[in-house]
Amino acid sequence: MKTLLQFFGNLKEYIIYSILVLTSLILIFQNENIQVRFIRAIAVSVMGVVQNTFSIIPNVFKIDAENKSLRENNITLSNELSKLKESKLENIRLAKMLEFKEKTGLNTVSASIIGKTLIQTRNNITLNVGENDSVKIGMPVISDKGLVGKVIATSSNYCVAQILLNKDLKVTAKDQRSRVDGIIGWEGEGKVLMKNVSKSSDVLVGDVIITSEYSNNFPPGIPIGFVASVGTVDNLFKKIEIQTFADFEILEEVFVIKYLSNDERQNLEKKLNPKQK
Amino acid sequence: MLEYLKYAGILFGLIILQLGINWLLPVTSYKITPDVTLIGIVYVSINRGKIIGSVSGFFSGLVLDLISFSFLGLSTLSKASAGFFAGFFFRESKINKYLSTYIFVLIVLFASLVNNFFYYVLYYQGSSLQIIDIVLRYILPTSIYTSFISVIPLMFFRKRLFKR
Repeated sequence: MKTLLQFFGNLKEYIIYSILVLTSLILIFQNENIQVRFIRAIAVSVMGVVQNTFSIIPNVFKIDAENKSLRENNITLSNELSKLKESKLENIRLAKMLEFKEKTGLNTVSASIIGKTLIQTRNNITLNVGENDSVKIGMPVISDKGLVGKVIATSSNYCVAQILLNKDLKVTAKDQRSRVDGIIGWEGEGKVLMKNVSKSSDVLVGDVIITSEYSNNFPPGIPIGFVASVGTVDNLFKKIEIQTFADFEILEEVFVIKYLSNDERQNLEKKLNPKQK
Repeated sequence: MLEYLKYAGILFGLIILQLGINWLLPVTSYKITPDVTLIGIVYVSINRGKIIGSVSGFFSGLVLDLISFSFLGLSTLSKASAGFFAGFFFRESKINKYLSTYIFVLIVLFASLVNNFFYYVLYYQGSSLQIIDIVLRYILPTSIYTSFISVIPLMFFRKRLFKR
């Protein structure tokens, strides 16, 4: 205590001078003229620099609380960012679908895929639309890229559709360029094949394959895919591999086309050919 | 106590003198006048040190600010600073030497530079004058003029000293 008093005693001249300077500054700041305003601005700047300098000294308790708050903010922001990214992608997909829907002019119901199997020989997708949405068995399912499959079962709010990667689904198709007909099907592995195409037919790699007007189940002109390779099975038929436009791995939204086969036509065809299913 | 009253009387007299004769003594185109009050403050500082010097400077400046209607606090700051720095020359054994030789003029010059620096630099803030202009037009001429005038009290101190 004595040392402290001695210390301040030695500094008393400077302390008194500082008090006088401070008092003078207070008196100066009471004035309202241009010089004082300028000096005030300088004083504020100096104080800002001083405060900024002292703010470098870390406050441990404050840092801890700040870290906690930042971590919480980080989690919240990460979640929001993820949602925003998801929304953005969804927005892009939906915009494309809307554009597709307007372009095709087909009467469709949009649906989201809520279940999918891709590793079996009979692969299906489950959609979040059903009978309440006027979805019926046999209705085609398409995406903005092309044909996806056909509805095979419905409930009130859901339906299941066969996709092109299903051994049981057959689609009558044609080469858009050369108008050569064939049957699209999958054999449980590899790419989708276009069968029943004679060896002499004009089919080239890159040709677009679309649904044919001969099909009872699908409206004509829906793109299915393009010819990936052309080979021969035997002396009679070609082996044509099709790369589907729809990418089933990433497919999320589809349309169910409110299109059903013409019963009158089907009945007539059955009458002439009783073996036809 | 009597001594302090003597200092107060001297300073008050010098303030009155300064206000009374300043119109007689302006030099240069910038109307430079000597700061006779500062000479008194230097005298007090040499005799009594930094504390009394700065306090007397503060109150002299306060009276000057109040009487001259200048903006309050400017002379208090500059004169308290001048008194404080002049107090560095306070030595019990050398008071007479400092007061009766050319050293007094040099101390006045030094204190005047301090005083004028604070005063004019703050006074001309916000104006278009550069610091070098302020130094050349006001700080240096006023300081030199004041130290020149301080020769008068120096002669008085010398005369008094030789009488002893």
